[in-house]
Amino acid sequence: MRHSKRMGQVSAPGRKVQLATAAMLLVATTVAACGDGQDDGAKASAPKAPATIPELTKDPLTLSFIWFDWPPAHALEAFANAEYKKERPNATIKVNTVPNANWHDAMFTQFAARKTDFDIAILDSQHIGEAVTNGNILDITDFVKNNIDVEAYNPYLLAAYGQFPQAETGKRDENASLYGLPLLGDTWTMIYRKDLIGDKPPQTWDEMISVAERCQAEHPGVSGLAFHQANGSDAAAVTYNTVNGVYGGNLWDSKTRKIEGVLNDAAGHEAMDVLVNKMKPLTAKGSGNWFIDEVNAAVAQGKACIAFNWIAASGGLLDPKQSTLGTTREQILDKLGFATLPSQKTNLVPLGGMGMHVSAYSSTANQAEALNFMKWFERADIQKKWAAAGGVPSRTDALESPEFLNAGPFNQVYTDSVPRMRDMWNVPEYARLVDIENTNVNAALNGAKKPKDALDDIAKEQQRVLDSGSRKGGGGL
Amino acid sequence: MAFISPALLLLLAMSVFPLLWALYLSFTDYSATRGGPAHFIGFGNYTAILASAQVHQRALTTLIYVVGAVTLQTVLGFAIAYLISRRTHGRGLLTTLFLVPMMLSPVVVGLFWRFMLDAQFGVINSMLGSLGLGQVEWLTRQRTALISLIVVDTWQWTPFIMLIALAGLTAVPKYLYEAASIDRASEWFRFRTITLPLVWPLLLIAVLFRAIEAFRLFDLVYILTNGGPGVSTETLSFHVYKVAFLGFNTGTASAYGILMVLVVIVLTQIYLRYLNKLKEG
Amino acid sequence: MAVSVDEAVSAGPVRDQTRPTRRLGGRGRSVLEIALLTVLAVVMLFPVLWMIETSIKENRDVYAVPAEFFGFTVTMEHFKDVFVAPGGGRSALSVAFLNSAVVAGVSTVLATVLGVPAAWAYSRFAVKARKDQLFFILSTRFMPPVVVVIPIFLMYRQVGLIDSKLGLILIYTAYNLPFTIWMMKGFVDEVPAEYEDAAMLDGYTRLQAFRRHTLPLLVPGIAATAVFALIFSWNEFVFAIFLTSSDSVRTAPPAIAGLIGGTTTDWGLVAAASVVFALPVLVFAYLVRKHLIAGVTLGAVRR
Repeated sequence: MRHSKRMGQVSAPGRKVQLATAAMLLVATTVAACGDGQDDGAKASAPKAPATIPELTKDPLTLSFIWFDWPPAHALEAFANAEYKKERPNATIKVNTVPNANWHDAMFTQFAARKTDFDIAILDSQHIGEAVTNGNILDITDFVKNNIDVEAYNPYLLAAYGQFPQAETGKRDENASLYGLPLLGDTWTMIYRKDLIGDKPPQTWDEMISVAERCQAEHPGVSGLAFHQANGSDAAAVTYNTVNGVYGGNLWDSKTRKIEGVLNDAAGHEAMDVLVNKMKPLTAKGSGNWFIDEVNAAVAQGKACIAFNWIAASGGLLDPKQSTLGTTREQILDKLGFATLPSQKTNLVPLGGMGMHVSAYSSTANQAEALNFMKWFERADIQKKWAAAGGVPSRTDALESPEFLNAGPFNQVYTDSVPRMRDMWNVPEYARLVDIENTNVNAALNGAKKPKDALDDIAKEQQRVLDSGSRKGGGGL
Repeated sequence: MAFISPALLLLLAMSVFPLLWALYLSFTDYSATRGGPAHFIGFGNYTAILASAQVHQRALTTLIYVVGAVTLQTVLGFAIAYLISRRTHGRGLLTTLFLVPMMLSPVVVGLFWRFMLDAQFGVINSMLGSLGLGQVEWLTRQRTALISLIVVDTWQWTPFIMLIALAGLTAVPKYLYEAASIDRASEWFRFRTITLPLVWPLLLIAVLFRAIEAFRLFDLVYILTNGGPGVSTETLSFHVYKVAFLGFNTGTASAYGILMVLVVIVLTQIYLRYLNKLKEG
Repeated sequence: MAVSVDEAVSAGPVRDQTRPTRRLGGRGRSVLEIALLTVLAVVMLFPVLWMIETSIKENRDVYAVPAEFFGFTVTMEHFKDVFVAPGGGRSALSVAFLNSAVVAGVSTVLATVLGVPAAWAYSRFAVKARKDQLFFILSTRFMPPVVVVIPIFLMYRQVGLIDSKLGLILIYTAYNLPFTIWMMKGFVDEVPAEYEDAAMLDGYTRLQAFRRHTLPLLVPGIAATAVFALIFSWNEFVFAIFLTSSDSVRTAPPAIAGLIGGTTTDWGLVAAASVVFALPVLVFAYLVRKHLIAGVTLGAVRR
């Protein structure tokens, strides 16, 4: 009897609560959905940065960057706090780092949230299109005109880290808008074992392959080659793109936005064949998921004759604590040589590195500080100091300075590579394009797909992504 | 109801509301980054997903993974539980030791197995080498990569099945066995007619839990293989992640997610109904 | 909808401690079984032992081929690196551990505070459509996290909860609440309602009766439930990696995952961080070993 009474008391308010909640929920959904739409419609393109640097604050200020976790990120934080503080004692530099695999997602989820915990995003050159189209970073064209000596740079470096729409390889379009300035230049270096293949690095790609083949045969337990093959980040994609460039292929026709038939032309297929059928057999078993750190480990463990890696990621190779090649830096350098990539039909090398881009969502004071920092960073004397601190500068005078060339055995490689660089597409669809290429090249390298099919699939799927403007649903599958 | 409503309100706000929002977005072409308003496109996302060969491939991978992993850990988990239940001494200690893998974070499990399965310097290949066997490419071949995923998941979750099976096994009353031994019934007969029927319902619940968990697997794939080689170990969850965060096709990803939730709900209902019938029958 | 998990599980007859008589087979079989168990135990525990071993090896021994099982130089450097940054000061990892502790701790307290009264009400009162409600509550727990994270992300960006500890705490509370309710309902069911009824005859309100008579009896159950909630949020990865991005908010699982994929991977550090990370969980799990089954099945199966 008590129970039935209790039931009556409880259920009535219970139902009311349920009804009220349901109503609230419905209202909230509608409001949120509408609010969202209006919010997004208002911002369609990148907001402009002021042409001159506004007055800077005298209050303490923290200027935040976002980058992935690797030695240059720590170098930048230390360098900026030591040097920039001399100019701006009230500013503190903080470089937020995220795992490399999470880098794109971490930046663009914050961009999507319209709230960033960083003032300067260090975007990969190919991320620019996505960020510009979504209005996430400032248009600094006018700022650059007034504050930066553009003549001091190889034009392609300025274009690669700042220009959108993308420039032609090797050039800069002076009428196009700029959205960033170079922070850290990078390209691949060939790392070779002088004690195993001799002091003189191979000059052509074919020669490099045959040298590696011989070295592997002569030295059991050491594999001929080590390079990036992983399906994450841009690992396998950069590897294919490099071989594609060297063998005279093209990634796309940027004017007509054609990939199908361009990427998978005869040269493209030859490059894929060289990569899968000639280079892959010379790599270590199970190296199909290798990226930067695994290639470094293989070199440091003395298990590779010739390896390819990003210059900015190669510093650790000279650390005796992580190497079995010697107990001092000099001993290691007796065995390791660094050279520019061999050429074949062309001498193209992959463009790496990143630029600085001002977040559209950071406060006015911080944006002003960010612009001031960038102007400071691109000064001739600071670029040389950055070089001496272990960074890779972009100004031609800094690249040719003894401060830079003497700072590391691979720095000459970078300076020599600058005129030879080629980048990937920097369109807004970049993340999807690179994923398609990564997974397919990785599949081909690991026997999950025939090389020819893999390349044709890349071209077909990438073309579909570029063409998918229509609103029928299922985008991104 | 003052005691229940705060909890229900939180669940409504954090589970139901987001789900309804996702449901709304699933009928649009909305993108979280591209900006611009969402356009209503009806069932466009749903039909595209159901028709996509890419999705079919991930569904097959997920199915193989779920069936393989759950079967393996059920057999192993039950076997271990059976062996433990026959011991008089050290049962508690043994159980505790066997449970360790289950308590570890999938991140730790994934990272560590990746380290152990490394073809070049991993300890597994090193031990195979001492036995005179060749190197196995655990994570970079289509078949072995999927098998590795199954093995690692089995390693982590066999204890789960074991724990539950053990609960069932130790609950079998002694008098039933005594009656059977008077009848001189064979051991297999006793196992089949006494032990198994009593443990079976519990085991089926354990299987349900594992199947649901395995169906939504993400973290292990993310760390162990990143979906590779190619996309051959991409599960449905991993694919949703790529659709949602690489291209920010939020509408498509929402529809994809809703479909996954539907699959779980429908299959669970069918399974539970079967289970209840079994119990009554 | 009318089917709920607890109906589907028969609780089984009373526990019987004496094991089935060992008659057939005899000693040989017993030896075989022990041998089999030992082999299985070694296989299951080997990765854990290897992790501990790697955490105290020097890096050059970590990569040694063939693998070194004994006779390597023991070092505690990796454990130091977990807590101390290379240049001195606190390491990013130790900050992440602290964040994990805060996020897991607060979300567990919240889930307990919200969940225990709800469980009590579901157990004591004839709530309308109770089974449906309970099933609904449980079902929220079974949604794939990757799916949930998309709308949660959109919602959080509207209210500014992206990359904040509060955001993680809220989602973990919601994630743990179904578990807490299911688990605690079982514990409340075991406490006879008559105690409360008797107290109410003495003039106490129902709430007072609950506090004075039922709550003290529930304390062990609450502790066990809380520990499981703590373990779930401590180990959680998917929400953490997508909803946080800065060092000051990031919890330990994404921080540990971030140790690989730089320019060099310090596997010794990965192992040491994993050991430090797993240790509290194992200790806690040992403390609640009696309730493990209920814990891992969200209270659906209990003994």
